[in-house]
Amino acid sequence: MPENLAGKRYIYKARGVCPAEIHFRIDGDVLVDLRFVGGGCPGNSLLVSRLLSGRPIDEFQDVLQGIDCRENTSCPDQLALALKAVNNQSLEPADTFRIHEDRRKIGRAALIGDLSGDGQALERLLNATTAAAPDAVYCVGNITGNSPQNKEMIRMILKTGILALQGKADWRYAQGTEPPDWPEMASQTRDHLVRLPQVLRFDLAGKKAVAFYGDYIQQLTGYSDYDPYALEMNMICGLTDFMRDEAVFPALEAMTPQFEVDLVLFGQTRQWGHWRVGGKNIIGVGPASEGGRLSWGLLTSENGDIRFNTMTVD
Amino acid sequence: MAESVKVLPEDIQQLMDVYEWDMRTREGVQRFRALKARSLPSVALDGDLVYESQIPMQEEIAEEIRLRYHQKNRDDDHAS
Repeated sequence: MPENLAGKRYIYKARGVCPAEIHFRIDGDVLVDLRFVGGGCPGNSLLVSRLLSGRPIDEFQDVLQGIDCRENTSCPDQLALALKAVNNQSLEPADTFRIHEDRRKIGRAALIGDLSGDGQALERLLNATTAAAPDAVYCVGNITGNSPQNKEMIRMILKTGILALQGKADWRYAQGTEPPDWPEMASQTRDHLVRLPQVLRFDLAGKKAVAFYGDYIQQLTGYSDYDPYALEMNMICGLTDFMRDEAVFPALEAMTPQFEVDLVLFGQTRQWGHWRVGGKNIIGVGPASEGGRLSWGLLTSENGDIRFNTMTVD
Repeated sequence: MAESVKVLPEDIQQLMDVYEWDMRTREGVQRFRALKARSLPSVALDGDLVYESQIPMQEEIAEEIRLRYHQKNRDDDHAS
């Protein structure tokens, strides 16, 4: 392996096999965190992952090749191709976090916050947002939580075409590190959560916007202060404690000219809020449901100004 | 900001070490918050936040450093 690739994360788009993607890291010459994502035999793929993770690639690369399962290939064969692609540098390292760019023309966006697996809340919120005729509905994480409806929730998200971001609870389920008293989740369901975007980029009437859930992204392996939108995250999460420390707003204002975007959305604090600092708009996305009351946010643009309203559903 | 400190007279340079934190980084933000700073640029001397939102005049900061240096050495002498 080329020496400068140590510790990088890769995502390989598999072909002809059940899993859509193979995720892994290479630390020195050792394969780590191998995961087949998006389908297939969960038991077998977990076994392969456990057998190979932590082992030098040279020890096993040869035995992976040429194994046939379907369409003249197999998961091990696809992994061999992925490692070969890393070696010849045709597979670039993946970003630290998964960024989704919504290229649609957005003039009005509906924002849904922490759902925590509450399918009924999602259904009622969708009915309410429909009346506002938004161009997009974004859920800023978490879609899952300590709820028996998590699987149903993911099904609804996929069916309705809502663009959902991964929240910390979703990430913990994806990693298999959810609290022990939370409901079990099948590996295919977890795979959906792995593949959720962690950062969303969109334009609202020509204004650049970025959305993320919270500071778990800063704790992802390989996170760099120079990753895309890391400045925005460092300022919101670290400097201002999610806009709760107004004393440092002068410092935030001094940093905003370096922002890549005009609008930043976050969800972690479960509190609705809208701040304008240094010509930038910052929005805290509150929970979908609290104290029996449902709420969502409507983001619009008027004469070039970003407008934000919190809407409630009785 | 650090540039204005680096161009201080040689006798002052001998008395100090200069550290600059990049506010774009988590380390810089952590240091900023530990100093309880609120705005930029900020200058701390011996861990005390002394200047906020301003770049002090050379003479002013040189005098402040001299004062602190003498104070510190006097305290050290008394302690020993």
